[in-house]
Amino acid sequence: MNSMDSMESNGTERRPLESATGKPLQPMAQPGYYQGYSTLAQQGYWDAATRAVVLERLQSVPPIRFFTREEARLLETVCEHILPQDDRDFAHRIRIVPFIDRRLQENRIDGYRFEDMPSDDEAHRLGLKAINSMARELFGRDFLELSWLRQEWILRQIHDGKPEAAQTIWKHLPVHRYWALLVQDCVEVYYAHPWSWDEIGYGGPAYPRAYMRLERGEPEPWEVKETRYDWKAPSAALSDPSGSEGGTH
Amino acid sequence: MKSPFGRALASAPEGPHRLGSMQRLRVPMRQYSEKETVDFLVVGVGSAGGVLIQRLARAGFRVVGLEAGPFWDTERDWVSDEAGSHQLYWEDLRITGGANPLSLGANNSGKGVGGGSVHWAGFAPRFHPSDFRVYSEDGVGADWAITYQDLKPYYELLELEMPVSGPAWFPWGDPHGYPFGPHPMGGVGNALIRGCTNLGIGVSAGGPVAILSGSRGDRPHCIYRGFCLQGCKVGAKASTLVTHVPDAMQNGAEIRDRSMAARIELGKDQRVTGVAYYDAEGQEHFQKAKAVIVAGYAIETPRLLLNSACPGHENGLANSSDTVGRYLMAQAGNVILGRFEELVRMYKAPPAHAMTEEFYETDRRRDFARGFAIQTVSPLPISFAKHMMAAKGAWGWGMRRVMMDYNHWAAFGLLGEILPWAENRVTLAAEKDQFGLPVAKVTFSLHENDKRLVEFGKNKVMEVMRAAGAQEVVQEQRYAHLVGGARMGHDPRSSVVDGFGRTHDIANLFVCDGSILPTQGSANPGLTIQALAARTADYLISEAAVIFKSNRRHLDRPPIRRHLSPPGTHGRGVPRFGHLRAT
Repeated sequence: MNSMDSMESNGTERRPLESATGKPLQPMAQPGYYQGYSTLAQQGYWDAATRAVVLERLQSVPPIRFFTREEARLLETVCEHILPQDDRDFAHRIRIVPFIDRRLQENRIDGYRFEDMPSDDEAHRLGLKAINSMARELFGRDFLELSWLRQEWILRQIHDGKPEAAQTIWKHLPVHRYWALLVQDCVEVYYAHPWSWDEIGYGGPAYPRAYMRLERGEPEPWEVKETRYDWKAPSAALSDPSGSEGGTH
Repeated sequence: MKSPFGRALASAPEGPHRLGSMQRLRVPMRQYSEKETVDFLVVGVGSAGGVLIQRLARAGFRVVGLEAGPFWDTERDWVSDEAGSHQLYWEDLRITGGANPLSLGANNSGKGVGGGSVHWAGFAPRFHPSDFRVYSEDGVGADWAITYQDLKPYYELLELEMPVSGPAWFPWGDPHGYPFGPHPMGGVGNALIRGCTNLGIGVSAGGPVAILSGSRGDRPHCIYRGFCLQGCKVGAKASTLVTHVPDAMQNGAEIRDRSMAARIELGKDQRVTGVAYYDAEGQEHFQKAKAVIVAGYAIETPRLLLNSACPGHENGLANSSDTVGRYLMAQAGNVILGRFEELVRMYKAPPAHAMTEEFYETDRRRDFARGFAIQTVSPLPISFAKHMMAAKGAWGWGMRRVMMDYNHWAAFGLLGEILPWAENRVTLAAEKDQFGLPVAKVTFSLHENDKRLVEFGKNKVMEVMRAAGAQEVVQEQRYAHLVGGARMGHDPRSSVVDGFGRTHDIANLFVCDGSILPTQGSANPGLTIQALAARTADYLISEAAVIFKSNRRHLDRPPIRRHLSPPGTHGRGVPRFGHLRAT
């Protein structure tokens, strides 16, 4: 635990690092390997119904109605671990929690519930309760008061399906199913946003104009060539086995 | 960024009901009053219901189709967007359990006119002749009440009506060719061809898939945008919404959308009298009919029969055999993902693009019966992220990193035959839906043969992915294509319907959808479901007078009514190669 206690929470340790220099990456308007590519720049070629749906997502962030203020704050931080955005400048971070909140408020489900799971809304509430209980049982403090690395360590236990605390809650909430629900809800929001399409070089809406470069992964005339940069996860991250040497505990 | 393709687009003006970029629906539609007793009432206007209603209407019968979801205007209602397309799927609550619980929702049934055919990928292979005799040939599963030869003429009809694009020579099962040319290859199709070729495995490129490779009538060709599972705004992919429903309406059928069937009513003479249903406002109605055909798919069909329990039929309608809901099947649908050094951009071109059925049949050298297919799948970013979570445990910076490499990945699907088991079933749960109707509970567990098949098949697909040149290969266990739950058979003690879909118990109650399949092969079921619907239609047309007035049952094969195909889909037929078969 000593290495964990030594982590400072000054913000820089949360940023991914340039592999060559080990220095934190400067926050960018558009991370990823497709600098200058913009799906939104092509919106004039989208059909009207699609344009309306995507722009609504961009322009109107729903208010929090389902979660309490405390739950929403806790989930905000949890989502910063599930899909960290510290390589994005503040103006270009993608809001996640308000859209999860809206789904739960409107009771929009995926069409099923596992028989050993509570409903999605109850599972989210219980899961947040379990996360905070783990923090209190393991470290004697609320999750939000813990260092980034300790928070990461708690979530890693849930990811691994081996939570070392809050057993009374996990008894009613299968841990691997809760983790899947949480991650799925986060990626549903993040990768629905056109900024994330720019980040990963995805073409986005394509009706009625179509694609014409089907072979060899060639870019369309309005796309750009991939230009990669090497980076590794911040040392206080336990979520990137392929890119990080940090995060021992 | 400069654009090479002219001016940007303004909104489409308000106008007639649009199906794709060319087709317009002529309104008004014929409307029957509830006081009228119609000839046929079809519950569910999906893959089967659409074909069935079209033929019955064209033959001059008075037909109403009840559909729980909306009647889509594709230009107004559908989007070229992954997260914005949830309304196409049946997302009302279902409970899922068993040792290998199935993910339901987006992965299987649809809601809205066209049903699952609105969001299927469009792979349209036939079943093999052996699929109809699984018990006789392998001692497992069940035999069908019909043979491949019974269905073959209807396969050929539907391959023209959809139509199906694919190679001129499809070597597996009963070898045949396709009426529309194969699609040009994209990155993921090329990867499958490369992997198979390097291992000496035969491969079919550019189909068979129910997507137009050239325009026909008022439907345009594919534009390769990759949103097949989100509803084809283009109108190039076949769904009964664009292939059969317009002709059904032209011939006087009524499609009553946003109408959720609650129960089938039984009269004193043990014949059904019609269906009670709820409209969009939750008002209950009753439509009288001389015969009822349930076409709600493998979960909603058993659910409706079970929810229709009444005195004398306490276990549900047509369930004297205790088989309703049982022998539910899903195909093994493991997704195998491989990362390539070069760019793939798998989202371009249809996900259903190339396949092999080299491993389809039972091979005595393996330790399991039956087999599997390998097909392309091309998840869009959100689905891909979920695969990465399941297959790699990706989250946090690991998720961000692997997603930045989205364009370097290709995905193949295993499509493996899971055998029918009595304990894999649909029952009623304690929970109720918005209308107060008990929801379905789906219980699913793999058995030994299934597990061996999945293990072997998964490893084979991973081998193909590596042979294609992928450096990293991961996989997620999944399932696809629910069928069964009201299976056909000769014996009323162990099946729900006969070879024409008529329930053994009630003379004027039929089932026509994927739920009547006794086994599922390792072919996507869409074409077979529609071919069965066309065959049931021919039977209903021949026997209508008898069905409407008596409980007599004839099992004579009806004539094949080729003239009932939607106009413009006729032709000389699809290529046959019987004359070339090796001796």
